[in-house]
Amino acid sequence: MSEKKGYLTNREIRAIAKANAKQIKRLEAYKNRKAEESEFLTQMKDDSNILEIEDLHTYFFTEQGVVKAVNGVSYDVPKNKVVGVVGESGCGKSVTSMSVMRLIQGPAGQIVEGAMRFKAYDYQRDAKGNPVCDGDGKPVMEEKIYDIAKMPINEIHRIRGKQVAMIFQEPMTSLNPVFTIGEQLDEVTLLHVPNATKQMAKEKSEEMLRLVGIIPENVYSSFPHELSGGMRQRVMIAMALAAEPRLIIADEPTTALDVTIQAQILDLLQDIKTKIDGSILLITHDLGVIAEMADYVVVMYAGKVIEKGTVLEIFQDPKHPYTIGLQKSKPTMTLDDSTELYNIPGNVPNPVNMPQHCYFKERCAKCTAKCSGQYPGMVQVSPTHFVACHLYDGEEKHG
Amino acid sequence: MEEKIQVQAQPAAEDTPLDKNVRMMSPTQMLLRRFFRSKLSILGLVMVIGLFVFSFLGPVVYTRWGETELDKSGKTKYALSTTEYTVDGVTYTLHQTTETVLVDNFLSAPSAEHPLGTDDQGYDVLARLMYGGRTSLLVSFMTVFLLTIFGVIIGGLAGFFGGWIDNIVMRVCDVLICLPGIPILLILSTAMDGWVDLGMMEESWRIYLLMAFLTLISWPGTARLVRGQILSLREQEFMVAAEAMGYSTFRKVFKHLVPNVMPQLIVQMSLSLGSMILYEATLSYLNMGIKAPYTAWGSMIQIITTNSDILQNHLYVWVPAGVCIVIAVLGFNFVGDGLRDALDPKGRR
Amino acid sequence: MADKTVLNTTPYDDAAEQQKFLERRKKQMEEDFAKPFDPDCVLEVRHLRKTFPIKKTMMGKVTKELVAVDDISFKLKAGETLGIVGESGCGKTTAGRAILKLHQPTAGQIIFNGQDITHLKSRQMRSIRKQMQIIFQDPYSSLPPRSTVGGILSEPVQVHKIVPKNQTKQYVLELMERCGLRDYYYERYPHEFSGGQRQRICIARALAVNPKLIICDEPVSALDVSIQAQIINLLKQLQRDMNLAYVFISHDLSVVKFISDKIGVMYLGSMMEFGTKEDIFRNPLHPYTKALFSAVPNPDPTAKMERIKLEGDIPSPANPPKGCRFHTRCPYAKEVCKHVPPEYKQYEEGHFAACHLLDE
Repeated sequence: MSEKKGYLTNREIRAIAKANAKQIKRLEAYKNRKAEESEFLTQMKDDSNILEIEDLHTYFFTEQGVVKAVNGVSYDVPKNKVVGVVGESGCGKSVTSMSVMRLIQGPAGQIVEGAMRFKAYDYQRDAKGNPVCDGDGKPVMEEKIYDIAKMPINEIHRIRGKQVAMIFQEPMTSLNPVFTIGEQLDEVTLLHVPNATKQMAKEKSEEMLRLVGIIPENVYSSFPHELSGGMRQRVMIAMALAAEPRLIIADEPTTALDVTIQAQILDLLQDIKTKIDGSILLITHDLGVIAEMADYVVVMYAGKVIEKGTVLEIFQDPKHPYTIGLQKSKPTMTLDDSTELYNIPGNVPNPVNMPQHCYFKERCAKCTAKCSGQYPGMVQVSPTHFVACHLYDGEEKHG
Repeated sequence: MEEKIQVQAQPAAEDTPLDKNVRMMSPTQMLLRRFFRSKLSILGLVMVIGLFVFSFLGPVVYTRWGETELDKSGKTKYALSTTEYTVDGVTYTLHQTTETVLVDNFLSAPSAEHPLGTDDQGYDVLARLMYGGRTSLLVSFMTVFLLTIFGVIIGGLAGFFGGWIDNIVMRVCDVLICLPGIPILLILSTAMDGWVDLGMMEESWRIYLLMAFLTLISWPGTARLVRGQILSLREQEFMVAAEAMGYSTFRKVFKHLVPNVMPQLIVQMSLSLGSMILYEATLSYLNMGIKAPYTAWGSMIQIITTNSDILQNHLYVWVPAGVCIVIAVLGFNFVGDGLRDALDPKGRR
Repeated sequence: MADKTVLNTTPYDDAAEQQKFLERRKKQMEEDFAKPFDPDCVLEVRHLRKTFPIKKTMMGKVTKELVAVDDISFKLKAGETLGIVGESGCGKTTAGRAILKLHQPTAGQIIFNGQDITHLKSRQMRSIRKQMQIIFQDPYSSLPPRSTVGGILSEPVQVHKIVPKNQTKQYVLELMERCGLRDYYYERYPHEFSGGQRQRICIARALAVNPKLIICDEPVSALDVSIQAQIINLLKQLQRDMNLAYVFISHDLSVVKFISDKIGVMYLGSMMEFGTKEDIFRNPLHPYTKALFSAVPNPDPTAKMERIKLEGDIPSPANPPKGCRFHTRCPYAKEVCKHVPPEYKQYEEGHFAACHLLDE
């Protein structure tokens, strides 16, 4: 009976639980191990990048089976650029960024394999792992390349919050309601800048508030509930900037805001992009936001990158049928509305038990016999433009 | 036009094979899986089921003694007495053994005849333990069942209508919660003694009256729970949808709201089963509950108050009943906790 | 201090202006209420107002209230869609629910199908309810979690006796097919579906009772882009097939533009501009409408258009600004805007707006 309705049988459930327990045990042990710094130091493939994600796999070991939320994702974030990641819910765009921050909720969620090379600017350390100081007692800084995937979880404080900061979607819940804005901002500086005094922290916080267009006197001693959503999001951005991170991950920063407020925040992010010496990884489902903000675009679908390139390439010459469909199905202000809206049939797949062939095959209008074969590899159609689709198999261009 | 619609509806209706690959767990499977993940809830379930089997199937297998059957095999009691008399300056010591033959075989140690011995009246302890279990479990089940029905109806109406109905119901709840349960039960029990003496009621009614009274003082807890849940569920959009559908109030409350409170209710019920068992035991221990010839676990412990010799030297009479109470309360609490974890959607891992 | 001096120099008396405005409106209301009902319209809303008490004295007397919807009026014909656009807190959701009488309106008239339903008791409303339905934004909380899809869809059919009892299942299956749901979903529970499929179930439930009017309260806001398009197309197709009237509430201008025939722009409870889609897009009158248009991010990286920037945040609806509600954020605000509430007037045939700047 349960078979007929499409439910799992009890035997299958037990088998899944057993397999999961084994995997989780192994990965948890790896995550919690103690390791020398040399174990997770590595080299960048291309020195102009700040972050290189290569073949990242992040799985969730659920009772219904393994959800391959991120299934072999590779993309780079170049220095001082904005990379936009776009995709629908469940495509793994947020999970990728959470993996970079190592915020995946264990024990069910685990980074299974892959590399995340991050160019950090960190203390020079001696053999024992203590920071090396120069003659004046100031720690010596140097550029180091960490492989975040290999870092044990207790070393992650070296980059989290300090080198990589995050702006979340929900400005309502991302601030602690019992502390004032000032206290929460000061804490960032006190935590991440060595030997910082309270006075220094306050000055820094006020500077950051001014940077995001808030007059510090009005807001410094307010509590989060006294601010509107837009103001809270500004404070979140100020908080992310306070530690002077090299990479800011903005996970749907404007989704919860009204259009006019969204326009303000986008302007602010544009403005900040030029002011700070860092890169932004912008994650959103809104193509309009991507078009306005990003230099490079990564399109994800069902845990895989299906197309990546510069913003002009993606918007003016999209290659993958999904990217094309996504752009056509969004009603725009200039669209002729007498006709039906283009739509991609079917539903966004739940990434459990994925087949071998292209995941988009069932929803694709252009699928060919070849699509039933292997999952398509990345085809390079221009120096910066890559697409994973069999339609372009012959059009490989290098250089 | 017609063709266009066809084209539009077709692909959307098509269930993609990718979806077919995803097989989920049915709601029952999911519940069972979460429940059985915790070792404690399995233990709790084993304890509870064990007690039920023991109490309800035990007497079917163990038919040697009945609940109110005295062991009339008799017991010979020997007493040694020494008497001294002096006759004509000569002192004689007389050693005398008295043999008393009693009708009832009371306080006999565990033996093949009585696996757990007999109590101070001559009842078989094992048989009494089984029948006592029936009473204790039945009393607590019936009480919990009654108070839940009561609480759901009153709490449901208070929560749904709000306003002055809610106000009155909640104030009544407050008053009832303030009432000290045990003293009132003691008074009631004493009154019942009087009624029995006056022939106004039968001894066997005592259990039902107790149940009724326990229900009366315990429903406010359930009513509050139901009211609180309904207040939050009422704001949910599916309730607004039900309102927009023009459903009757009765349908909205009992078809839409109450089923969604069920999980919390079941948890509450299993937890209060434990406390009801304790209530019954307390009353019986104070000699205010079930009285001889009927028995309950609490009454079996109560025997120790009559004779301190039993407390020290005849452990087999009262320890088994105590163990049963502990097992029952622990078992119900474990099951309740397990159910809470299994039914709480927020606790999902 | 500085504020005070400014106030003293203005030629406007706020209280008197407010009084004048209220009197003018009262007169207007009396005139409009006396008009006969338009027989062509499925829905006619006249001066709808809804307030919520936020402060009460011990005796239950309301001392402060939140004006969620302040004086909105419109007419809607069968087969037409009215789009209501606005940001959070503009009262668009409250307006939708007040039309269905899920909230009892504080003032105004709601005429549905030639019948004034404003003061009907909830028992009398029950038979009318099946002709007007609602679809919600959140497809997760709008379906009862413990019923199967079949149960959810059959219940209204049975309660309102739409078809004989033995044909219920057949009817529901046809309904499911029409909404793009597979027949074997009948036995399944809502939590097993994705957002888009759940929204289809919600639509099917609303259609089960053969309504004339559906209030769509942000039905596609929580959905992915590709699914959004499917749902919009489904709604349009059902409208053509069944001659439904929609009130389509959304914050997304591009979606509203695509689906609507008439558009109302709301801000802090008031209707700022109202007109046909063509009028509003060709010639937006109100500065807020213009700002809304330019705030929508354009998915074309080459077109960097000039934005009308709105400074600051939306004021709290509990404490709306005096005069024109929009003046605190309006880039063109003048002295008169700060003190005198603008009149809601017709500027073109069927194109209304409330703004002082248009009077010059």
